Amino acid sequence: MTLNLSVLTPNRIVWDSEVKEIILSTNSGKISVLPNHAPIATAVDIGILRIRLNDQWLTIALIGGFARIGNNEITILINDTEKGSDIDPQEAQQALEIAEANLRKAEGKRQKIEAKLALRRARTRVEAINAIS
Amino acid sequence: MAMAALRREGRRFAPMISPRPITALRSSPLAPSLEDECPIGVRYISTQVVRNRMKSVKNIQKITKAMKMVAASKLRAIQTKAENSRGLWQPFTALLGDLPSANVKKNVVVTISSDKGLCGGINSTSVKISKGFHKLNSGPEKETKYVILGEKAKAQLVRDSKKDIELIITELQKNPLNYTQVSVLADEILKNVEYDALRIVFNKFHSVVSFVPTVSTVLSPEIVEREAESGGKLGDLDSYEVEGGETKGEILQNLAEFQFSCVMFNAVLENACSEQGARMSAMDSSSRNAGDMLDRLTLTYNRTRQASITTELIEIISGASALEG
Repeated sequence: MTLNLSVLTPNRIVWDSEVKEIILSTNSGKISVLPNHAPIATAVDIGILRIRLNDQWLTIALIGGFARIGNNEITILINDTEKGSDIDPQEAQQALEIAEANLRKAEGKRQKIEAKLALRRARTRVEAINAIS
Repeated sequence: MAMAALRREGRRFAPMISPRPITALRSSPLAPSLEDECPIGVRYISTQVVRNRMKSVKNIQKITKAMKMVAASKLRAIQTKAENSRGLWQPFTALLGDLPSANVKKNVVVTISSDKGLCGGINSTSVKISKGFHKLNSGPEKETKYVILGEKAKAQLVRDSKKDIELIITELQKNPLNYTQVSVLADEILKNVEYDALRIVFNKFHSVVSFVPTVSTVLSPEIVEREAESGGKLGDLDSYEVEGGETKGEILQNLAEFQFSCVMFNAVLENACSEQGARMSAMDSSSRNAGDMLDRLTLTYNRTRQASITTELIEIISGASALEG
């Protein structure tokens, strides 16, 4: 029994094939989905999606969206994503540092919120690279 | 001999004495303007006039051919984007359904049209459908408002439905279309307009020669709840346990907003493709028309040229024969 996973963004289809298991991060924590999961519709937080095919884990960094899990069909709709293998480690690390610096400098509620979001994005991307191994 | 030749010439020349019937028969658009341009008393149309006309028609043909090629290359660029974005709204439809028949009080019609002209009839069809929708849904309890994207629809709708227009957005295609821009736009619309149902009217791109006007419906979360309770297609929604937020309502709200921006993105891309395709076919028929016109003008030109030669010959011959006595 395998799950059919499709990850879609407005610009392209990121992933569309069968997988064994996925680990998704939602607003209420990380959930792991195995075949024959109960149907749920959930919001996807900024985090990494881990996909397992045949004992090999793949990581994709997701930046917010929705997921619907039906009878062995998972549809994830995202605003923006990056495949773990496409991210340049040094650039992501730099982006993380810049985001942290920005957060410390931020003043005012709006800037703080934006800085926090940028930080989470950068952190997600760094995690995606580290988690490949 | 000379007299016989003259008589023959005369017979051949007789039709030319009254240029009006001939030109009216062969090419009516030609008759009035050419008549205007030649001085009274001349028995035939001057070749200069015809030659000027041929030059301008040839230029038009070149321009329309170039426009067609430009439209074809732009179409190729946008087409891949549109096809990639198509996959996105299908899960929404599968989950939330697309209910054009939902009976709601506040309808908002989002009409998507082009900014530039010369693209065939696609903008008129979109406006016609929007107006039809408005008519259907205006009554004691229900009301319909417009949100207009694009200059062409604005020009047509401002004339008779000015009070119903909420928002007008133009010059969408100045920068290449991308999702961030459209999602900001969708955000603006959602903030400023209260709605129970949003109907997006656009031209769906099926192929280079077929553009079908379509209406996509996005319902607000309250209506989704109402329809879900009444069963039917949306009844399945309740079978999904909704996680990931404080309340189910909040998730559905976010979902509806996301759905709207995705559907808008797809609609804008498809409309852009249809615009380029329609422009291609309009320019193509234009250049073909110009080619036909050029052929007819060439025939007229040759006829007038031969007529002037014949006239000269006749004058010379009649002068010579008069001298001979």
